[in-house]
Amino acid sequence: MEKEEIVNKLTPVFRKVFADNSLVITEELSALDVENWDSLSHMLLIAEVENEFAIKFKLKDLNKMANVGDMIAIISSKL
Amino acid sequence: MSEYLIRKAVASDIPFLADVVIASEKAMSDRLSFTTLFNKTEEEAKELIIQMFEEEVDGCELSLSSFIVTEFEGKPISGSGAWIEGFKGNMPSGILKSNLISYTFGKESIGYLKTKSNIVKDVMIEREPMTLQLEYFHIKNEHLGKGLDAALMDKIEENALAQYPELKKVQCQIFKNSVFSIKILLRHGFKIVKSYKSDNDDIFDYLPFNEKLLMEKILKTD
Repeated sequence: MEKEEIVNKLTPVFRKVFADNSLVITEELSALDVENWDSLSHMLLIAEVENEFAIKFKLKDLNKMANVGDMIAIISSKL
Repeated sequence: MSEYLIRKAVASDIPFLADVVIASEKAMSDRLSFTTLFNKTEEEAKELIIQMFEEEVDGCELSLSSFIVTEFEGKPISGSGAWIEGFKGNMPSGILKSNLISYTFGKESIGYLKTKSNIVKDVMIEREPMTLQLEYFHIKNEHLGKGLDAALMDKIEENALAQYPELKKVQCQIFKNSVFSIKILLRHGFKIVKSYKSDNDDIFDYLPFNEKLLMEKILKTD
């Protein structure tokens, strides 16, 4: 799956989890940039992303995800 | 005090640390968020807490490296967790803990959490980078009142300052009903700096109390 296709699938997931319909997904985006991205919403985000792509992250994958770019790279490696 | 040995936690302490987490999380109530928010029994939650410790992720409240224990006659009788938030480029501890829970508890539990997240969000407090975060502090009842709390607090601060001499403050998030723990913190120089309260009474079905305090102790000023 191409990076652009992954971003297109991630966008509605992020907008739903963080309740922000104008949220724009960039590779640099991280928890520091999104007001509602806290420990609680992070768990919901991980579950929704796993569901969307039918994948299961390893713990070491999760702990490497400093921003959306890292998440895209890990998703890409699993598809 | 000479009968007590305060030391860093090791892997064989993990089952005891799971009990420390459970006792601390309940905060003088019968409600354990690892069960109420994730639809698990206490037995299941304990096993999952053990698994999270065994992953040995550093930099959060479920990190083995965050804990010191006290031994009495060769057995652990207290456990205390503390870490420097975001130290050495670590991710925020809340994210590390969420990763551990997401990985360990599984989709069904996270799905259950989703239905309850609105109830608990008002008492969630962000952690300040490069501060010492104190979380989980438990001493077995029969060893209370012997000055161990002060010795542990001193040791926690001493360890943190050895790692990071520029450390300026210690913070602790604590439910308001934890009156004895609050007294210990006040006695040790902490002050209440902010209160976070939920008006949703349903919170009492899931968490120990509807109000959480942010307590802080200044170690150094600029």
